Amino acid sequence: MADLSNLTGLVSEPSGEIDSSVSSASNRSLRLAEKEKRKAEADPFRLAVKYLSQVEAGTVVRGNDELERNLVVVETVALSKGLPPEVITVLLDMALSLNAGTANCTRVLKFLIPATVVPQEAIVKGVSWLCVGKMPMNAQVLFVRWVLTVFDLIDCKDNLRSIYGFIFSFVMEENLGRQPFLTQLLALYKVFRPDLVTLSLPSRARTGFKNHNSTWKVALSAVQRKNKGAVLIDQSLDVKEKPSSRKRKLHHLAIPPLSSAFDSNSSKKVFRLQELQSFKELLENIHNIELPAQMGSLLGSSLALHYLDCVQDESAFLRLNFWLGHSLQEEFLLCPVDGSSDNTSEACRFLSTVLFSQQFLQEGFSSTESFLYKFLRVWDGSLLRPQILDLLSDIPLMPSFYVHKLLFEPMKQLYFTSTVFFKCSVIECLNSMLVKWLTWHSVSASDGGLDISLNSNSTMTMTLSGFMDSVMELVHFVGLLSSEGLRLENCHILLLNQSLAFYETVCDMFVKYSLPLIIMPPAGVFYPALFATDSISVDRLGYIMYRYRKNLTLAKKQEQQREKTPHISRNTYKEFNRNLQAMVNSMWNSWWCIPGSDLEIDKELIALSKVAEPWCRFDLIHHPALFSYAIEFHQRCWPERKDVDLGSIKTGKYWNWYMEFLFNQGFDGLKNFIQTNTGTAPH
Amino acid sequence: MGKRDVQKILFLIFFGSVCFLFIMEGRGSAVNTPATSRPVTRRSKSYGRSCVEAPSYFWQTPGHLTVLKIPTSREAAKSQIITNKVDPEHIALLVKNEWKLSYVTPLYRFRHTELKSYSKHLSAFIIAEKHQGVAVEVGFEAGFKVTFTSVLGLAETSEDAETVFIQIQSKPVFAAAADAPKVVWRGWLTCVNGDPEYLRALPPDFVSLPLFCTSGPESLTTLVKSWFERAFDCNFGSLALNSTTLNWLAALWTGCHPTCNIRYLKLSWSLPSQPPLDVSYTVNPQDAWELWNSIHPEESTDGRIDIKEVQSFMNGLETHFFRHFKIYLSAGMLVKVSTALGSAQLDGKIKIGNSDYITTLLTMLTECALLKMLT
Repeated sequence: MADLSNLTGLVSEPSGEIDSSVSSASNRSLRLAEKEKRKAEADPFRLAVKYLSQVEAGTVVRGNDELERNLVVVETVALSKGLPPEVITVLLDMALSLNAGTANCTRVLKFLIPATVVPQEAIVKGVSWLCVGKMPMNAQVLFVRWVLTVFDLIDCKDNLRSIYGFIFSFVMEENLGRQPFLTQLLALYKVFRPDLVTLSLPSRARTGFKNHNSTWKVALSAVQRKNKGAVLIDQSLDVKEKPSSRKRKLHHLAIPPLSSAFDSNSSKKVFRLQELQSFKELLENIHNIELPAQMGSLLGSSLALHYLDCVQDESAFLRLNFWLGHSLQEEFLLCPVDGSSDNTSEACRFLSTVLFSQQFLQEGFSSTESFLYKFLRVWDGSLLRPQILDLLSDIPLMPSFYVHKLLFEPMKQLYFTSTVFFKCSVIECLNSMLVKWLTWHSVSASDGGLDISLNSNSTMTMTLSGFMDSVMELVHFVGLLSSEGLRLENCHILLLNQSLAFYETVCDMFVKYSLPLIIMPPAGVFYPALFATDSISVDRLGYIMYRYRKNLTLAKKQEQQREKTPHISRNTYKEFNRNLQAMVNSMWNSWWCIPGSDLEIDKELIALSKVAEPWCRFDLIHHPALFSYAIEFHQRCWPERKDVDLGSIKTGKYWNWYMEFLFNQGFDGLKNFIQTNTGTAPH
Repeated sequence: MGKRDVQKILFLIFFGSVCFLFIMEGRGSAVNTPATSRPVTRRSKSYGRSCVEAPSYFWQTPGHLTVLKIPTSREAAKSQIITNKVDPEHIALLVKNEWKLSYVTPLYRFRHTELKSYSKHLSAFIIAEKHQGVAVEVGFEAGFKVTFTSVLGLAETSEDAETVFIQIQSKPVFAAAADAPKVVWRGWLTCVNGDPEYLRALPPDFVSLPLFCTSGPESLTTLVKSWFERAFDCNFGSLALNSTTLNWLAALWTGCHPTCNIRYLKLSWSLPSQPPLDVSYTVNPQDAWELWNSIHPEESTDGRIDIKEVQSFMNGLETHFFRHFKIYLSAGMLVKVSTALGSAQLDGKIKIGNSDYITTLLTMLTECALLKMLT
């Protein structure tokens, strides 16, 4: 018996929304709730339902005015507003138990119009009453018809599905199947699942349906029209109401539901993906899982994605890619996006699902990839920017010729014609792409270190040099983008930081990812960072130089130890030394001249600026990024001094204290840089 | 949507005495870009893999790089008595209607031997869909009968899958028992001279029938498409033709005139003027053919036609029109071409007038479908 205390306030207000009145009641003060309760108790509908729920077996029906009165109350509400789920459960139970007699059973069934949904338990309970076998044939038939009518309104069907066997045997064995409407339904069902329907059906019966349930349907649709908005029903119901153009448009972006193929061999014991509830179940059934009818449906569930990760079937991935490629193309390349926010949010959700799946599998789909090459040529750089850039960063490694042609050329155009924030996002995206490439390399490189096996079960390989070419292409491309970008954007601080973040990846390729490739940042990135006005950039540069040194040292060591070693070009060492010299000279030695470098500044030109002691301007004290720290340090050392003389920091123990002071400000990059390069490093 | 204010002008021109002066462009041999197929050396976690030589077309075939070329030359339309190859009853089905075109991605596990069970499934599906949901109107169409048939013989190469014809019949509720069920919808999937490289690259589980032609109510088309999508994990997209395709058809059909009277060459343009101007331009078939013959002599050696010849032909027609009406048709868009052999519209509707030239038309449309799928 359903707990009727749940019903408090449910349908107390004729116009009120059911859910909100329940939740708001719980929030109100106790007194108010009490008042509400009393009011609800006085509600005739609620009282009637309560009465009907308490009708016991053997109740006298004939001449029972009270029963009649209460039935009328509920009937009126049911036909005008529909019944809430709990009431459906209560009434169906009352009717099928025949506690109020057979006549009232059919009567109740006829006005059992749901306002929103039908709880699954109500149906399951109903079927159990069917099995008791007390109900007369016409009531049984009526019940089955009612179930068919409200079928799409049943809130959830998993338990119901597990008793299909009962229902089918009941329908077929108990002669219910001779009802024409059921014969047709069974004939239809037999096409899909011949194993479940054993009844032989006359072929003439298959001509079609008649609308047997029209009275119910009319009542239902009337109630639903009234309750529109509050009604939560199976989507299939309102498909017809959507404007067709919109429907067609969104169609491409819908991930199909998980379902079995029509011709799935039902005799073979398989586990269907849509029945999968837990990871444990997946592991237990992994040997006989059946792929869904539409591979695209896998993207909707992370359990299914786990399975996809171990699928070896080439056709399965091709199907997935055909679907995904088609969806992306129809939505973004063939149908012009009208820019309405609704559509964009739909597209955004779709791309996010694709992204989630790719990140889950740690691999981009080839259909996304080829879509991106085409889309890049028409992209305005703003539509769905975060998603598109994230998808771009998932593009897997490919030969350098293609990287350049398909990716870099269109990206370059977008980059130089967009705002500084877009530039930052592009650099960030390429950084993330590089990290993915390098990670993949470090995972799949074979021991020999020369050939990379691309896949455990494929013969495709990419030579190490081919891989290095692509990485080099990418690093040089970003070098170009950042140095030109910094020049165009007046060394914008965000852009500088994104560029340095990229070089933080680049400087560690050898140590972290065992890729024997060291590429120095171009002058257009190095000097803006060295002379930056913010301390973070200078610190980052310190860290990067420190890591370069580590990588080069390791390469050199390996070179000396073994004869056959990855070769790092002499030029790289030279370049590094030049940068190092420039950095140490300007920051440490207060000395500018870098012999043999391309940075020769005419002394007379500098003299024109009338800056005193120009060579000191970028040392650790006067550097614009560190100047404020020097002042602070000075104040702490000589609080009483009126004249600030930063030069006094350089003398004696003060210098060491100043260094310590700086390192304590969190400048770990600078600390590492200075310690390794001045021989004070602890290791 | 408001109705477009269209000014319609019908131009009927007889070339008769008009002289044609043509600067013959050097007709070099057709520019055939060599097929490029190189194995891409990189990983694929069997997700399929592709690369492009932009701006060509390409597609995913596992481990292959396939570049689809847009042909710059093709064979002249040749008449063949198709009924020698294909059941005349089947051909009759294709010739009657106007067809709306779609493209389809390859069908997974489609078997020509299972057509009977597909018929049963699809009709069950349509009935189930029509009756699903209480808000749907019920009871108008009582029963549906679906028939799948193979149209054997339309395929040209061994790679082409055989054409499949689908017919839906319905019997209204109130029809008398003796009334024959009415055909309410027709559709067919075909592949004629599909790009062999592409077809060969597909794993055997897939059948490619890229061109889907339908005739009947949109609601049934939608149902059939969604059944196919669920049954064979494929997808449909609408196939609009481009004006280059229409130009090709105009030239190819005109070239047939000596062997089969094309009766007229009717071209429709839409001009972006204010208000928009629709021009319907009907050319005497003999005049059209003479123009074509002056560009592409009948006795030319290899029987291939180059895109440049097609362009000269269209330029000739446009120039002639300009001389009379001072309207540059080239500023507009060619939207329809029709002759007695058939018609084709920019929005992807076609009619087949004469079955003897069906192969040429279907070859072209198959190619359009493949290109569209991979654009």
